[in-house]
Amino acid sequence: MTLMIYCKLAWRNVLRNKRRTLIAGIAIGIGLAALIYVDALILGMEDNMVKSATSSFLGEGQIHREGFRQTFEVDLTVNNLAEVVESIKQEEVVESFTLRTFCFGMISSPANVSSVSMVGVDPANERHLSQVDEALVEGTYFEGDDDRQLLIGRKLAELLEVGLGDRVVMTAAQAGTGDLAQEMFRVSGIYYFNVPQMDQYMAFVLISKARQMLALGDEAHQIALKFHDAYLGRDQDHPFWNRYSRNGNEAVGWTVLLPQLEAAFELSGFSTLIVAIILFGVVSLGIVNTLFMSLHERMFEFGVMRAVGTRPVAMGQLVILEAGALAILSVVLGMILGFVTLYISTRIGIDYTGIEFAGVTFRELLYPVMEVRQFIVFPLWVFAFTVGIAFYPAIYAARLTPAKAMRKSF
Amino acid sequence: MEPNNQAGVIIAEAVTKVYSDNGVPVEAVRGIDLTIKHGEFTAIVGPSGSGKTTFLNIVSGLDSVTSGRVWLAGRLLSEMSGRELSDFRRDSIGFIFQAYNLIPVLSVEENIEYIMLLQGVGKSERHRRVGRILEKLGLAEFADRVPVKLSGGQQQRVAVARAMVAEPVLVLADEPTANLDSKTGAGLLDMMRELNQTTGMTFVFSTHDRAIMERATRLVTLKDGRVDNDETRD
Ligand SMILES: Nc1ncnc2c1ncn2[C@@H]1O[C@H](COP(=O)(O)OP(=O)(O)O)[C@@H](O)[C@H]1O
Ligand SMILES: [Mg+2]
Repeated sequence: MTLMIYCKLAWRNVLRNKRRTLIAGIAIGIGLAALIYVDALILGMEDNMVKSATSSFLGEGQIHREGFRQTFEVDLTVNNLAEVVESIKQEEVVESFTLRTFCFGMISSPANVSSVSMVGVDPANERHLSQVDEALVEGTYFEGDDDRQLLIGRKLAELLEVGLGDRVVMTAAQAGTGDLAQEMFRVSGIYYFNVPQMDQYMAFVLISKARQMLALGDEAHQIALKFHDAYLGRDQDHPFWNRYSRNGNEAVGWTVLLPQLEAAFELSGFSTLIVAIILFGVVSLGIVNTLFMSLHERMFEFGVMRAVGTRPVAMGQLVILEAGALAILSVVLGMILGFVTLYISTRIGIDYTGIEFAGVTFRELLYPVMEVRQFIVFPLWVFAFTVGIAFYPAIYAARLTPAKAMRKSF
Repeated sequence: MEPNNQAGVIIAEAVTKVYSDNGVPVEAVRGIDLTIKHGEFTAIVGPSGSGKTTFLNIVSGLDSVTSGRVWLAGRLLSEMSGRELSDFRRDSIGFIFQAYNLIPVLSVEENIEYIMLLQGVGKSERHRRVGRILEKLGLAEFADRVPVKLSGGQQQRVAVARAMVAEPVLVLADEPTANLDSKTGAGLLDMMRELNQTTGMTFVFSTHDRAIMERATRLVTLKDGRVDNDETRD
């Protein structure tokens, strides 16, 4: 029952010095809003990076022969390919997949030569896995069965001084014998990813042509995968990966393919923590300062309250309740502030395109990711923290002896 | 040895108080023996710095003694814990200070109600008692006002109402009129005296105002922390 009167007192006391309460509330609120915003930004960045990294070409996961990833040896094709493909078709988690061949080769034009990675693709399936089709700036994506079609990046085209329709010669070593094979191609499309590795060092041909050139029969080097739930690419414990990591093959998600990205994410999680610690440090000083200020200017009042019979613990309780009232105001302010700034950002996006981070180039606008969790967990943190820190002035208030409190105020 | 508690509401026995003022000892009270009897209307007088506040704080448990003993309503104060003292003050002593007696964020009514809230008195009983005392002291029209909307004299009257409402054994007032003009101060004292006569409640107040001390039935004069003179009048 006395709790009621202290709640009433606390609330009115907090509203008593409106300006100070507002300033403290805004300070705490900004802290909370910043926390929410940083979290949303990092989520958005991760999403964006994963998308940039996986959807342009990599896929969310891949299957290949063990060792292929490290050596790119033409002989290391996927074991039991037909069987694996049949099985993947039955997988409910898989949205789409495609087969690819790889080889290092030399591409030469009358003007220049360059080493490239020649990728043989199945055009219809490849469309779902990579964005080569969307990144075309000139020419067309594979059309018909003309097996001399070739897609290259703009940088490579500039280097070779070739344009649409120009002829180039590709030289590569065949499987088994290692004999050199040479084929003529015609540039049928030029793409631009704004990712140097793709724009300068890759060349796409039809998988049928690549198989023939490399004497691969029906084999392929890689099965690239896309899942219904993109998170599976990050969940290396999912049974899917185990199911296809046998008979000499290995199946891995993008976190394994791009370890530097996962490491960067861990780092960014850590930086949220640092931001949180710094913010909380600043905020806590503000809270303690505000509470002590209001305590000191009400010293006599506290003395009178103690004199007329308020118990020491109740005085501490009052200070905690005041901190709670301040926290509620601050949290509401912070949530509004966080929501408004986030909402605007999620609408217009943040332009990081072309900037590279952890080996990934941002290719799309960055949209912070707003989650309900951010508006529950962080406010609770801030509330608990504010009330927790108030124990310091609360204990001080509880220990005041009434005579001293009243004398101190003159 | 236990003194006979029937003998007094306050029994102070060889009370001393030494403060440390930045390491320099200050003897505020230098050995006071005093018994205040039931129903007395006592003024503690003396110049500023003579130890009035210190003495009143000690006998009401707001401050501790350096040596000596104090019984209040039969209880030895030094035996009580902080919490017991709080509850004891709440139930047994009404306080009136020089100024700023009231909790600024509470209305007159809520201020008077506060002690009864702490005591756990039921709502209807609280309202009945608040209503009665407001009526008695002519404060009914101010019930819903906050303290800053009252004059100094009105605030002190409300403080008297708060001090009386829980029917304590003793009302202590440390210079209750010091912040009032002489006419308002005299009016407040007359009101307190009348309450003393009609209810029989014991009052102890301090002052250094001649006109105010005239109204006391007993005059205890302090000088340098000692009782210099103690006269009972009628
Ligand atoms: N907390 C304290 N610390 C140091 N000195 C004090 C303290 N309280 C009172 N004193 C000193 O004790 C003496 C008596 O003070 P006080 O009881 O307030 O006298 P009065 O109320 O009669 O004016 C004064 O000299 C005062 O300065
Ligand atoms: Mg004094």
